[in-house]
Amino acid sequence: MNPYDYQTFRIAYEVISAIICLVLVRFMIKPYQLTKESRYLGLPLGFGFLGATYALAAFIFYQPYFFGSTTIYLQLILRSFAFIFLVVTYYFSRQTADVGRKLWNTTLAILIIAFLTLFLPVIIPDIALPSYQLTSSFTRVFNLICIIYICAHTLRSHVEKPEPETIWIPFGYIFLAISQYLLIIFAVDESMAAWWSALGIRWVALAIFLIISCRSFYCFKRGD
Amino acid sequence: MKQIARRDKLKIYGDLLSILNEETSKDKVVLTRVQVRLNVPFDRLKTYITQLSGLGLIDDENSLKLTEKGKQYIKEYENVLDFMKRMGIAYQ
Repeated sequence: MNPYDYQTFRIAYEVISAIICLVLVRFMIKPYQLTKESRYLGLPLGFGFLGATYALAAFIFYQPYFFGSTTIYLQLILRSFAFIFLVVTYYFSRQTADVGRKLWNTTLAILIIAFLTLFLPVIIPDIALPSYQLTSSFTRVFNLICIIYICAHTLRSHVEKPEPETIWIPFGYIFLAISQYLLIIFAVDESMAAWWSALGIRWVALAIFLIISCRSFYCFKRGD
Repeated sequence: MKQIARRDKLKIYGDLLSILNEETSKDKVVLTRVQVRLNVPFDRLKTYITQLSGLGLIDDENSLKLTEKGKQYIKEYENVLDFMKRMGIAYQ
């Protein structure tokens, strides 16, 4: 594939991923809208941040020199925080409402401070940043650990109350984990097969989330 | 012994509306049956019914039944609960 075609493909790919995440955010915010429980805010925040990283990736491919090289670091931070928000939501969903509410508010405050602390060195010019390759590998390993936790949590929920419709979400997260794992392989040995597979598998994962959401809100039948 | 999670008001309202929706589709609503299914004391059930009636979600003039607003709410409530279950998120 020539560089121009690759650039066009990546922009289209990232824009479509961002649009899927935007649609997912509309669904993910519904538990919060109904219950007004702030501990469910991590779902829309997580998918929102994930969508933002894809939109940012598309913009980087479109205008590589607009914001400078620090944008790619911002992308890594946003993606890690997306997974942290999801982990925190799944963790607090098992707590009782009172405990979950109090702990979530504290955790959210800590996460915002942590995000700003990491964000500032990226936007302040003339600060020496670590190698992108190294940072990328570390953050992807961290993301992988977060997704493995979510997989374990959702699988546990399924095992406790086995129902056919609850098995799909662990698969969605497993595919997301495989995608992250393949990106680590790509970062280590630059295997293009791993790279293309990671892109394909990411869409499979996002498609599973989208199908689950649509089935809940548009194809929902219970004794009708 | 497994501890039963404490329900918040929203969950109780949602459960009550779901039960009323099922009961009205069968035949006449029997309050004691609703009380047993909802697992709350009778006096509190009466309070919840008054509150839901005040919110315009149920009509309790002749016999208990869900209003259009109540039916819309319960549909949204069940959809969101189903979504949370599919997502592996507990609502307690």
